[in-house]
Parts: sequence; structure tokens; C-alpha cells
Amino acid sequence: MERRADLLTPKERVGAFLSGEAVDRIITMPIVTANTVHLIGKTVKEFQLDGEVMAKAHMAAFEKFGYDLVYLFTNCSYVAEAMGQKLVYSIDEPANCDDPIIKSRADLDKVKVATKDDGQLPVYYDALEILNQELADQVFLSVCFSGPLTTAATLRGTERFVRDTYKDPDLCHKLLRLATDSCKNFIKEIVSYEAMPIILEPIASGSLFSPKMFKEFAFPYNKELVDLAHELGALIPFHICGKTHKIVDLMADTGADVISIDQCDLEIAREKVGGRAVVLGNINPADELLFGPVERIYKVCKEAIDKMEGYTPGFFLSTGCETSNEVPMEHIEAFMDAARSYGTYDY
Amino acid sequence: MEKSKLFEKISGSLIEMEEDKVVELCKKSLELNIPVYETITSGLIAGMDEVGRLYEEEEYFLPEVLICSDAMKAGLDVVKPYLKADDMGKPIKVVIGVVEGDTHDIGKNLVGIMMETSGIEVYDLGRDVPLDKFVKKAEEVEADIIGMSTLMTTTMDGMRTVIEKLEAENIRNKYKVLIGGGPISQKFADMIGADLYTKDANSAVREIKKIVWG
Repeated sequence: MERRADLLTPKERVGAFLSGEAVDRIITMPIVTANTVHLIGKTVKEFQLDGEVMAKAHMAAFEKFGYDLVYLFTNCSYVAEAMGQKLVYSIDEPANCDDPIIKSRADLDKVKVATKDDGQLPVYYDALEILNQELADQVFLSVCFSGPLTTAATLRGTERFVRDTYKDPDLCHKLLRLATDSCKNFIKEIVSYEAMPIILEPIASGSLFSPKMFKEFAFPYNKELVDLAHELGALIPFHICGKTHKIVDLMADTGADVISIDQCDLEIAREKVGGRAVVLGNINPADELLFGPVERIYKVCKEAIDKMEGYTPGFFLSTGCETSNEVPMEHIEAFMDAARSYGTYDY
Repeated sequence: MEKSKLFEKISGSLIEMEEDKVVELCKKSLELNIPVYETITSGLIAGMDEVGRLYEEEEYFLPEVLICSDAMKAGLDVVKPYLKADDMGKPIKVVIGVVEGDTHDIGKNLVGIMMETSGIEVYDLGRDVPLDKFVKKAEEVEADIIGMSTLMTTTMDGMRTVIEKLEAENIRNKYKVLIGGGPISQKFADMIGADLYTKDANSAVREIKKIVWG
């Protein structure tokens, strides 16, 4: 395997791609987030609560891997937290919601539309400020946050929310409205730091909801977010982990610029999203990337690259979901090496 | 009304998520003196079997399964008080839980619902379950199956630990070990020596019946 050196910086590469020029290799961005913190000997908890730790962790990871997008993300519940939900922080795991705040309709007044400085949102601004100084000349920055449906389900408790879609859809829509407005406020802040907002909707996945339910409870609210990003002149990817083969076309219908997928055959994505959005995915972070060995990582990356050759508007090599603390760093390096070896197409 | 017609109506209403109708029809079955176990197996469980099939074929999803299982349980509440103790035969017993360190329990709950509604006796240990507890509970209730779930790669290894505990106590052969959850794969099941991995809740129920009943 010949591993070619990068010719462009990640920023030049993505810039070239966006303006339709040739690039030196496939754009590649494993979803590397809070696990970066171990490179600087701190904990996931510190990463989630201290913007400087977050920034330094990402600087270390970017230096090590040289991937094409810096992906700021702490946990799936931080938008809900900014709306009034209490989270549990353990030392080395993403924070989670143990006790959903909306027990009944009467609790609606316990949550509010999140604004700029609520919850731990300012951690991101602190990190972005540092990264804009230190890295922004080399690579684009992004912030990933849970979208309306995932946030609403966090506030209500996922199982109750799921039942409500039949038993009390009005309550679902009320929560979705509040969550959407919260996400919009946060998107404005992200864009003001010239970072790219990324919507994450794991609870909208086809592992939980039918396409019909997706249309009613996820689509309109996410479309609002996409429209806002576009009004602000920003690109916006849409990520759903789990199964998406039955909703990948609906994801593209939102107008999102990048459709980021996990358990969805790339050929289905190619057919249903083709011509409308970049496809990003979908090496399994819980299988190949977790267990290796590196030869197997090379193989699945090459297969994905080959499958998507010639796809327009473009295919970015990524993981289907976030890489956890358990994924060995050498496997992430192998993933990048695969892109540098096989991802050059005809260039 | 003919018995079979009534069972068909019970199943049909259950599949259509009409809880009130299921309850009404179950009351009717009592008025007609239809043996309760027949109403349960040929009406309610038969309906849930179909729901399971629709789920596996991705016609139904989590909301539909939950609403149908609510309807099933409402029907069960009506007839169960009149069930004679040993009518249903000896059920398969399963201990399930989400392994220590993980609180994601939707998948586990779904599997639990599918099992219960197919007549399996489920001992649900909940989420973030200390690993010793799986073994202890299985011994206590004389379970056939130990089922473990996780959504996180960081907690997967707890499943291996439970299997090692069974081996250490020389009781590995007493139980079949079922594992599942987002990051779990057949490969991982093979690696840790679990007996069964399935991709979704309905096939878990089917495969369990296969390995216990042969």
C-alpha cells in the first residue's frame, strides 16, 4: 500500500472541493470528538465543561491525524440541558439524562427556549475562540448538536416520547417547537464563529421511527434548521446514526448539504441522494474501527471509496457514528492512511 | 360468536392498535366462557406475533410496537385473573438487563416487551446492572436464558465478564447467553462466546424459542 503525503491542507482541500477544483485525496473526517481528550491526559468530564480543554484536545488530535474537519461535540443532551434539563456527568463518559424533566404536560413550564449563554453552550464558544486562533487557518471547524426530535425525546424520556407520538402528539409538537427554537438560537452562535453547524438526530433513526413518523415529527423541524443555516450563508450536514435506508431520501429533502449516514448501504444512499447532497459515511466505529486489525480497516475503507467513485456532488469518508474512547488511536490513523492510499482516485 | 372468529378479532384489533376494542373483546371471551389460555395464545399472543413480524419487516416501528403491547397488556389484565395456574405450561424464563455503565434501555425494553407478549417469563433487571446481578438472578429464578444489552462500545466488555463469571462458577452450561444492542455484532458474540446474537427484538424471541425448545 502506497501512502501518499497530503499536498493540500485540510482547509485548502475542502475549499477546493467547494469551488469545484481538483483535490489531492478524498475528504476524510472520522468522527473524533471527546475521545481526543485522552491525548492530553484529561477526562471526558473536563472536556465537556471546559472550553480550553476541549480546544487543546482537538488541537492535539488534529496534529496527530490531520483529518479534514474538526468536529466539536460533547454529548447528545446538551441542548436539552440548556433548556432546563439536568444531566449526570461521570468522569470519563459523555453526560446523560437520567431523569427526564417533562413527566407530564404540567411540566412544560419547567423548560424554555435555550438562548446563547444557557447550560454548557458557552463551553463551545470558548473552544471556538481558541481554535479560531490556533487552527482555523488550516482546517474548518464544526459543532454538532442534537436536533429537535432528539432533544424533545431527551426532555420527555425517549420511551414516553415514542408513545406520545400516538397518545399525545400535541405534546410532542409543543416540545419540538421549543427544541427547534433552541437549536436555531445555537446555530446563529455557531455560525457567528464561522463554524459549521451539524445536526445530529439519533432518535429520528429508522431503528426507532417509521418514515411516516419521520415526516411528521422530524422532517419539518429539521428543515427549519437547514433553512436557517442557509439564510445565514452556512453549509449544514445532517447526521443520523442507526438505520437510515428508508429515510435517507427524506433526509436529503430537508436540503441539508451533507447527508451523514451510519447503517445504510452506500449504494442506496448513492441512488436516493445522488445529485442533491454530499454523502458522508459510514465505516462502523463499533466493529472494524474498534476491533481492527488495520488490514481490515484498509479493506472496508477501500470498499467504501470504490463504491462511491464518481458520485456527485461528492463522497466524504467518515465513520458511521462517533468513535468511542475504546477505539485505539492506531485504528484512526489506519483509517486516515487508507484515505491517503486509496482515496486519490485519478488525481 | 364463534371462538376462532373472536380470536381473529382480538388479534386484528391488537394489530390495529385499538386498545379499547381489545379490552371489550377480551371481556366478551369471558362472557362466552372461552378458556382463558386459548384467548391468550390464539388471540393476544397471535396478534403480537404478527406485530413482531411487521416490526421485523420494518412495517411497524418502535411506537407501533409499544402501542400494540399496551393493548395486549390491557387485554391480558382483563382475562388473566381467570387463568388457571398451570394452563399455560412451563414458560421459558429469561433474565435481561443493560450492562453496568450504560443507561440506554430502549432496545432492552423492546426485547422485554416482545418476550413477555410471546409468553416468556421475563425478569428485567433494568439498566446499568452490576454484572454479578445477572448471574445471581439467573440462579435465583432458575432461568433458561441470560440476555444482556448495551448501546455503548465502552461497556460491551461487561458481557464477556458475565460469561467468564458463569464459567468460573461452573454453571456456564446451565444458561444460554443472548446479547444485543447497537454496537454488538455476530463477530463480537463469537469473540466472547455468547450463544446467541440477533439484530432485532423479534428475531431474539424466535431464536430463543428455537434454542430452548430445540
